[in-house]
Amino acid sequence: MRRTGLLLFSCSSLLWASAAGAQDAPSSVQIHGFVSQGFIKTTENNYLAQSKRGSFDFSEVGINFTDALTDKFRVGIQLFAHELGPLGKYAPQFDWYYLDYRFTDWFGVRGGRTKLPWGLYNEANDVDAGRVPILLPQSLYPVANREFLFAQNGGEIYGDISLAAAGLLEYRAYGGTIFLNGVDTSAQLKDYGAPYMFGGRLMWLPFEGLQLGGSAQKLRFDIDYVPTPDQLAVYQMQGLVPANFSGTVSVKIPIALWVTSIEYQAHDLLLAAEYGRSYIEEKINLLIPTPSMVNQGGYGMASYRVNSWFTPGVYYSALFPDIHHSQHNRASYQHDVALTLRYDLTANWLVKLEQHYMHGTAGLTTALNDDKPLNTLTKDWGVFLVKTTAYF
Amino acid sequence: MPKSFSSELAFRSRRRRLLWLLAVLLVGVSWSTARRAVAGEHPADFRMVVHKGNPMSSASREFLTDVFLKRVSQWNGGETIHPVDQRPNSSVRKSFSENVLKRSVAAVRSYWQQRIFSGRDVPPPELDSDDAVVSYVGSHPGAVGYVSVGAKLGEARELTID
Repeated sequence: MRRTGLLLFSCSSLLWASAAGAQDAPSSVQIHGFVSQGFIKTTENNYLAQSKRGSFDFSEVGINFTDALTDKFRVGIQLFAHELGPLGKYAPQFDWYYLDYRFTDWFGVRGGRTKLPWGLYNEANDVDAGRVPILLPQSLYPVANREFLFAQNGGEIYGDISLAAAGLLEYRAYGGTIFLNGVDTSAQLKDYGAPYMFGGRLMWLPFEGLQLGGSAQKLRFDIDYVPTPDQLAVYQMQGLVPANFSGTVSVKIPIALWVTSIEYQAHDLLLAAEYGRSYIEEKINLLIPTPSMVNQGGYGMASYRVNSWFTPGVYYSALFPDIHHSQHNRASYQHDVALTLRYDLTANWLVKLEQHYMHGTAGLTTALNDDKPLNTLTKDWGVFLVKTTAYF
Repeated sequence: MPKSFSSELAFRSRRRRLLWLLAVLLVGVSWSTARRAVAGEHPADFRMVVHKGNPMSSASREFLTDVFLKRVSQWNGGETIHPVDQRPNSSVRKSFSENVLKRSVAAVRSYWQQRIFSGRDVPPPELDSDDAVVSYVGSHPGAVGYVSVGAKLGEARELTID
């Protein structure tokens, strides 16, 4: 009932705003929105949702308002709700909101909740209409991380620096924290959060259509929990509990990520490739060594708009979740070859079909697969997706 | 031969075939794109227009690209630039997009969808006709737009592309 109400509200908002947008005079306030519904089916293994039997738990809705209060000062806000398998559950949230003052082309300041400029497409991960694939390469843009690595609450400086004949340099630097909306809470969980996050992106545009550069980011997750008496007994038996143990297990997870990116766009052709790594540690106030892992991923992608209504695209993506401690089994890699067909039925309505050929089970979750270890899941499997989006 | 090994070989063989297919597709598409760029599929049948009080008489194609993609927001004199587009289905928009932005109208719309829904920026307003563009440019000192070659310029004047 709640979902139906939300969708009805979204649809009426879309219609109302479309009618408003049809007026000739340029208005200061711009209203834009989108509604998406997808379907996901896998040949083996549950992926993102209960996909083996086929799942419609794959939808998004958003509406935003942007106003230029002066030539240099803008404000904006986007309301967003989504569902992807166990994630989202249509809980409405402010996806982003900001105050933006652009002093000059090479220096501007933004504050509020802003999308994270990481790689080529992190900021546009929700924007189905702005790209060809339904799922961006999951080696670098895992949708399951939406609650963590899409946006931050804090400040940002940005600018476009002209390099004359050498093109343009676009920089972004930000710092703040993130809200962890998607964390499951339990009686044992005492506290969790991300005390800091900062990073930046530098892109060079030597000529129109080509951009290349890199992004880096550092953050930390903190989790405090009170172990059950049984857990505590096990820790004590194993000699893991220090003498000054307070009764609360504190886990600090510092993460550093970087990615290098290149994209070329000319007329109807788009080529892109990215490669990145993330370094994750887990510091616990128990007497155990600090576990660490290095995650590596990359992809190459191409699409070509054949005509105004048809755009095929393809990518190859590879993910290696822990390159230093790899067990060399199917859970230590994910190779993904994806083929997408995008049909723009009207200027504001599109349909996409997508097929993935997957090799390896990295990127899957045990929770969606009856708690089976990932190295026991089917190694070669396929994903089929359909998605339709209306937007204005 | 162990099953996992033969499965690995089969996967590699499939992947090799897919990569070859991808390479052939890329070569074909790149050739087609290059040919289109060289041949100039869409003749430049538009004129850039600015307010009569604008001191600039010409601008480079690169500058206009940055203006219409909102990477540049000020004229040399410091006046704020107000770019104005025409509707996506108009022939003058298509010509402007292919010749100045070097992207199809659909590609530019994708660019703006990414900007709009990530909260980065909003596109220039889209007007219905040459007359609407001329009227807008004539009443906004920092405005820049484009119209069909035969359009009457009224309070606007032409800005040539270097």
